[in-house]
Amino acid sequence: MSDRLSSGHPRLDAVLGGGLPADAINLVIGLPGSGKTILAQQYVFANATEERPALYLSTVSEPLEKMVRYGQTLDFFDPATVGRAVFYEDLGGVLNDRGLPGVEERIGELIRERRPSIIVIDSFKALSAYADGSDFRRFLHVLAGRLSAFPVSSFWIGEYAERELSEAPEFAVADAVVALATTRAAERDTRALRILKLRGSQAASGAHTYRISARGIDVFPRLADPADFSRYTVGEQRLSSGIAALDEILAEGYWRGASTLCAGPSGCGKTLMGMHFIFNGARSGDPGLIASFQENPIQLERIVRTFGWSFADPAVELMYRSPVDVYVDEWVYELLASVARTGATRVLIDSLTDLQFASQDPVTFREFMYSLIQRLSRDGVSIFMTTELPDLFTVTRLSEFGVSHVSDNVVVLQYVRDSSAVRRAVTVLKTRASRHQPEIREFKITEEGIVLGAPLSDVTADP
Amino acid sequence: MLALPAATIRNWELRYGLVTPERSDGGHRLYTRSQVEQLRFLKIEVDRGLQPAEAHRLLADRLAAHGPLPARHDAEEPRLLILIADRDPYAAELAEFFLRTEGYDVDLAFDVSEVERRIEQRRPDLAVVEVMISGRAGAELCRRLKDRGVSSCLAVSSLDARDDALAAGADAFLSKPLHPLELVSTVKDLLGGSALLRGTARQSR
Repeated sequence: MSDRLSSGHPRLDAVLGGGLPADAINLVIGLPGSGKTILAQQYVFANATEERPALYLSTVSEPLEKMVRYGQTLDFFDPATVGRAVFYEDLGGVLNDRGLPGVEERIGELIRERRPSIIVIDSFKALSAYADGSDFRRFLHVLAGRLSAFPVSSFWIGEYAERELSEAPEFAVADAVVALATTRAAERDTRALRILKLRGSQAASGAHTYRISARGIDVFPRLADPADFSRYTVGEQRLSSGIAALDEILAEGYWRGASTLCAGPSGCGKTLMGMHFIFNGARSGDPGLIASFQENPIQLERIVRTFGWSFADPAVELMYRSPVDVYVDEWVYELLASVARTGATRVLIDSLTDLQFASQDPVTFREFMYSLIQRLSRDGVSIFMTTELPDLFTVTRLSEFGVSHVSDNVVVLQYVRDSSAVRRAVTVLKTRASRHQPEIREFKITEEGIVLGAPLSDVTADP
Repeated sequence: MLALPAATIRNWELRYGLVTPERSDGGHRLYTRSQVEQLRFLKIEVDRGLQPAEAHRLLADRLAAHGPLPARHDAEEPRLLILIADRDPYAAELAEFFLRTEGYDVDLAFDVSEVERRIEQRRPDLAVVEVMISGRAGAELCRRLKDRGVSSCLAVSSLDARDDALAAGADAFLSKPLHPLELVSTVKDLLGGSALLRGTARQSR
C-alpha cells in the first residue's frame, strides 16, 4: 500500500507534497464550473483497476447521464473501464426514499461489494439539505467511520465557499481540502488552486494557477522556491558574453549561470544585445533559447538576418508567445521544459516588462523571478533579461520590481543628446564578483554588431 | 428438507435473483441439486446471524471465487472460529464480512470484558485483536489469549505498535485500515498449522 494517492499529474502531486494522503477523506470545493468534477474524475481514472475499482456516486445536483456524457470529452476518460474498473451510481433514489441513513448504508454495502480504492460523492454539499444540524453531524460521523475502516480514498465534492470553512462540519472531518477558484483582475480571469488543509504532509502554499482542457486540470505550481544551495556550484569559467562591447567593460568576462538585466528605453538596442548573447553563444557551443513577447517570429527573423544569423540555426530555439492573455505560471513551465529539451545553456527573456503586466502582483512577480533565476543558475544556464525604461535620456529609476537585486549584472542603455545628434550609451551598474569599469560608454549598432566607443565624460546616468 | 418456508424462498428469488430455478410446463419451480446446496448455504448463514442480503452477497462472492458449492455444504462440519476484538464497530463489521466470505465463523467483541465472555462460550482458533482496545489493552490481551490456548493472535492497529504487539505474543501485525486480501491471507497463513493439527482444515482453495 503506498502512502500517497497520485492524480496522474506530476505537477499537481508536487503541490500536494507528493500526492494526497492515501485512504484519506478529501474535500474538493469551488463554484460551479471550477473543475471539481474533472479533478475527481482525474483521480478516478488514474487509479482505478478491476481489482481495486473506483465508485463515482452522484447525489442530487449532477445527473449521472450528464456526468458520463461530458466525461467522455476528457482524454483520460476510458469508456472501456466503465463498468469494470470505474462504476457510476446514482444515490439520488436512495436519498429521496430513505434519506441520509439510506445513503450511509448503501455506501457500506458498496464498500463490501466492490472493495473500491476510490469513492467520489458528487455533490456532497447537497446531502446537508437532507438533515438538520445534529442529524447531519451524526451522518458525517458514521460515514467517516465507515470510510476510515477500509483502505479507500474518498472525494467529497461541493459548491462550498471558502468562508464556510470554519462553520461546515465537513471541513473538520476532511483530511485534505482542495479549493478551486477564479480570480478576476483587469478583465482577466485566472483560475487558481489552493490547498486549504492537508493532514500529514506539507503542501506548497499559495495560489497555483491551473487551466482546464481535454487533458483535465493542468496545474502550474507557484514558482516560489526557497533558497536552495544544494546543487549550486560557483562557476569557475569566465566566458565571453557574446557581446564584444560588454566583455570589454566586464573586465574578466562573464560567469556561466550568471543573470544579466539589461534596462533601457525603447529602440535603444536591448533586444539586439540579447540576440548577440544568444547567437554568438550558439557559435561558441552554447545552445540558446529566446523567449520573446516582443516581435513575432517573422519580424525577429528579419532583424537577426541583418547580422548574418537565422532561426534555422539548430542551436537556437525561439519560444514566441503573444503578450495578450499569457499565464505567467504556465509560461515558466513551458520555458523550463524547453530548456530541458534543448539543453540550452543561454536564455534570453525579452522582455520582463511583458511578464510584469501579465503577473498578478509585484510581490508574486519578484518571488517568481527570484525562483526562475535560481533554478536556471543552479543548472548552469545563463539568463539575459531585457526591461523597458520610460526615460529616454536620464535614467532616474529601474522599475523592474527588484529584479536588479537578484541579477548578477545590471546593464543600463540610454540615449545621450548633444547639440546635433542622439547617441547611445551603455553603463554597467553592477556586476557581481567581478571588477568592472563603472563608466558611461558610447556604443554603435553596426552590421558587425554592437561596437563600443569612447567614455562619455559629459553625461551622468543617475539611477 | 431445508426447513425454509416456500414464501421465503420465493421472496429471496424475487428480491435477489440469485437462486432462480427453471419452471415446469405447469409453472412449478424445479431446483437443481446445486441450487438446493445454495439455499442450504443461505439458510446456514442467515441462521448464523447474517441479513438475507448479506448472505446472498456472500453466496455470489463464493460462487464467483470458488465455483459450485460442494454437496452438503459444511452444514455439519465445524468451521474455524475467529474472534475479532476491536473497539471500532465499522472496522470489526468489515473484517467479519471478509472473513465470513472465506468460510470462517466469526465472533465479535468490542472490549476486553466482552472478549472474556466470548471465549468462555467457545474458544476461537484465532483472534484478531486491535491494540487500542479498552485503552491500550490489546497487546496484553494477545498474551492472555495465547496463555488460554488460543493458538494464533493477529494484532492490528492504526498505531504503529508492531514491536509492542509481537513482543507480547502476537503472531503477526497488520496496519489499519485492513486490506481485505491482506487480512484473509494473513489469517490463512496463521491458521494453516493449527487447522491441520486439529484435522478440521478444509481444502485450501
